[in-house]
Amino acid sequence: MSIEPGLGKSKRSTDDARGKPFVGPEDLRGYDPATALSVPGSFPFTRGVHRTMYRDKLWTMRQFAGFGSAADTNERFKYLLAHGTTGLSTAFDLPTLMGRDSDDPLALGEVGRCGVAVASLADMHVLYDGINLGEVSTSMTINAPAAIVLAFYVCVAKKQGVPLDQLRGTLQNDILKEFHAQNEYVFPPVPSVKLVVDTIEYCTQHMPLWNTVSVSGYHIREAGATAAEELAFTLADGMAYTQLSIERGLDVDAFAPRLSFFFDVHNDFFEEIAKLRAARRMWAHIMRDRFHAKHERSWKLRMHCQTAGVTLTEQQPMNNIMRVAYQAMAGVLGGTQSLHTNSMDETLALPTEGAAKVALRTQQILAHETSVPQVADPLGGSYFVEKMTDEIEAKAYAIIDQIDAMGGVLPAVDRGYFRRAIAESAQAEQRRIDGGAQKIVGVTDFVEEGTHDMEMLKISQDTEDEQVSKLKSIKANRDATKHQAALTRLRDDATQDKNVMPALIEAAEAEATVGEMMDTMKQVFGAYGGGPEW
Amino acid sequence: MVTLATEPMKMTKPINNNQPPRILLAKIGLDGHDRGVKVLARSFRDAGIEVIYTGLWQTCEATMYAALQEDVDVVGVSLLSAAHLTVMPELLRLRKKLDIEHIPIILGGIVPNEDHAALAEMGVAAVFNPGSSVDDIVEKVKQLAAMHEPIQFKEVVVGYKARKQNALAKLITSVQRGESLDGFTPPVGDAVVIGVTGAPGVGKSSFIGKLGEELVSRGKRVAVLAIDPSSPITGGALLGDRLRMMSASPEREFFVRSLASGGAAGGLAAICPDVLKLLKGFGFDYILVETVGAGQGDVGIRELASHTLLVLMPDSGDAVQYSKAGIMEIATCFVLNKCDLNGADATQSQLISAVGDARPIFKTSTLKTEGIDRVADFIMTLS
Repeated sequence: MSIEPGLGKSKRSTDDARGKPFVGPEDLRGYDPATALSVPGSFPFTRGVHRTMYRDKLWTMRQFAGFGSAADTNERFKYLLAHGTTGLSTAFDLPTLMGRDSDDPLALGEVGRCGVAVASLADMHVLYDGINLGEVSTSMTINAPAAIVLAFYVCVAKKQGVPLDQLRGTLQNDILKEFHAQNEYVFPPVPSVKLVVDTIEYCTQHMPLWNTVSVSGYHIREAGATAAEELAFTLADGMAYTQLSIERGLDVDAFAPRLSFFFDVHNDFFEEIAKLRAARRMWAHIMRDRFHAKHERSWKLRMHCQTAGVTLTEQQPMNNIMRVAYQAMAGVLGGTQSLHTNSMDETLALPTEGAAKVALRTQQILAHETSVPQVADPLGGSYFVEKMTDEIEAKAYAIIDQIDAMGGVLPAVDRGYFRRAIAESAQAEQRRIDGGAQKIVGVTDFVEEGTHDMEMLKISQDTEDEQVSKLKSIKANRDATKHQAALTRLRDDATQDKNVMPALIEAAEAEATVGEMMDTMKQVFGAYGGGPEW
Repeated sequence: MVTLATEPMKMTKPINNNQPPRILLAKIGLDGHDRGVKVLARSFRDAGIEVIYTGLWQTCEATMYAALQEDVDVVGVSLLSAAHLTVMPELLRLRKKLDIEHIPIILGGIVPNEDHAALAEMGVAAVFNPGSSVDDIVEKVKQLAAMHEPIQFKEVVVGYKARKQNALAKLITSVQRGESLDGFTPPVGDAVVIGVTGAPGVGKSSFIGKLGEELVSRGKRVAVLAIDPSSPITGGALLGDRLRMMSASPEREFFVRSLASGGAAGGLAAICPDVLKLLKGFGFDYILVETVGAGQGDVGIRELASHTLLVLMPDSGDAVQYSKAGIMEIATCFVLNKCDLNGADATQSQLISAVGDARPIFKTSTLKTEGIDRVADFIMTLS
């Protein structure tokens, strides 16, 4: 399955654009702007997915939030909406992310700690209480139990009377990067990916405005991958979902427009801009030439970006505001559709309201004071940026070729390829830092004695206790017959390799918990202990 | 590559101060952010330290029990989920309960400065935050390891005879260091020693973990000796086999010890027979020795074990590779693992045509826990 010729793979040299003091026309010999760039909004979309980009519509300022109980997060959502945020983004707590109920023994000390605890449909009703799901777009960062959370969301919309075809939002639902980097997997790779395809199929039929998968490079990068690896691994994952959905019998043009992407914006300003531009150009070619998508909408890579949490420092934390601002600008110059800016205090704990507000204001200043959004792709045509774009594209294609040579993403997961590559890159970066080649202000250089004085968000243990007792009461008071019947159907559908979405919706309505639904599927799919590590 | 001595070893050797420090690195709870712990694992190895990484999602109890069996010099815990004030007191409580208070525990991760004093007070030996230099962390680990107290043989031998696992663990350390056992000769015991070998990636460790559990559930006492290569340059090692066998719990007779091939006086060849004597004398019924099976040369396992299980996986081409090596001839039986993958039947046919059908071939899936019971049935017929 190697990339066929004519996919826009750069044939130009991959010399490091930064190996010389400046880059000029001689470095772009043979460069054809008409095919490499075109105009914004046209194939291959290097310059952006829209003709006018931010002039007509600013990016979505989507701030990730979630902590404590569903009621706490609901309150934070309303605060963010009142302060001008334009899309909600939900962080779930670790037990929920791992598909475990709040009263699971492994959940001890983790309930509501790093996100909101959602164990049952009742929690989901509270989470979106007073927020019209027909009016907001909602992003939900969840993976292994993504299909279950989608089922909850469908149930809340039904209760609110919002037709499913009006629901807008994004489910992260990218299990492959969990195997590569973040480790929030539950089932083995093959059934895990089957669940993703189930949600793609369900949404294609019932929720056409919903972004089914946010194919994520963010976590891959945060775990230590280089920019080129982030780009290559992410597109390879997107290709794997596309291939499997086609194998399921779906028309590529029916689902491809609803795949979206999620990239990290790190410190290396121009490399990041180049990465985002290259991502669009590569995906356009991959979709058109490899998967034979016919609609322009299928060729467009739409992305969310988040500034790089891993670059923030505990030392002199106010400096993080500046890091975030530069990264945010790189994201916008790279043409992102949506952006999360990190809060300065995120190396210490979850953000306080005040820190989260500064992060949002950083985007607003960028949007409304700097004039950066006025012209699409203002760096297009820069010798340096075009050279960088070509270089990172060539590196990423070479990595994708390697993955293809292994038989694709799933066999490469099985061999531990991704984990090893990421861990090696992470160690290489640590060596550069320890060796002085990579400076970090306030950590390796310009160090100040003494500690910071930052206010920190505290999550009280009461949250866990209340959540656990609420859950116990749900389990005691629900209709046991209906509940059991729904879980039996779920097990049967999973065993017969049916799409489990209808069974999950029925189970959600029967007040089955996240943990119960996951355990039922584990009986069929097995549980995964991880692939090769070194 | 493991080469093993053929001659019986005496139980006394000169004291060796070159035994690398050993650290157990653990992630506890549900948090999967393992960038830091993996960078450190590699950096420790490169600094000449033996690292036992226990993988994700460990409980406090499994972690401290692993520390006891491995008799490490230091336990390092990585926590990024803000659970440190819940987890650390529990680890310290277990450390006391298991009577291994000599092992210092260090913590790395997102830990607010205001919590450092409380952690120090409760007995955490060091706390490292993001931005800590790796060199500083390595230095601290070496310092803590150097404070390791000499083993009190009389006391430890009494514990060993009373079948205390922490005493067994300490005696193994003593053999690793090349220290004298003070004339102590363990009882002969009647354990069946079984070598388990096979190419990297066939799932040896997971298979041994499941097989061990199965034998334990049948009332047998089981020990596992997991052998991994050391870096020839630094002497450090990454010992990751244990992370596939972590379901051991203190109540059960399931002892796992990781050994680095180079991390002993005179190399592994010099100490393996002595470690086995200690395990046999402790009264285990079965001792499973996992070796870096890389085909040729690994036949040395024959000197050590009375039986050899060769683990293969579908479509790996191992059948052909191994038939050229010597290992095919010495295998007591064959385990075709990962049979949940495609191509199992074809590989089985290949295998039969290569080795005939006189020796048993078992099809297993550790993912689905299938076929393990039949291997256990077979093992229980061996003596």
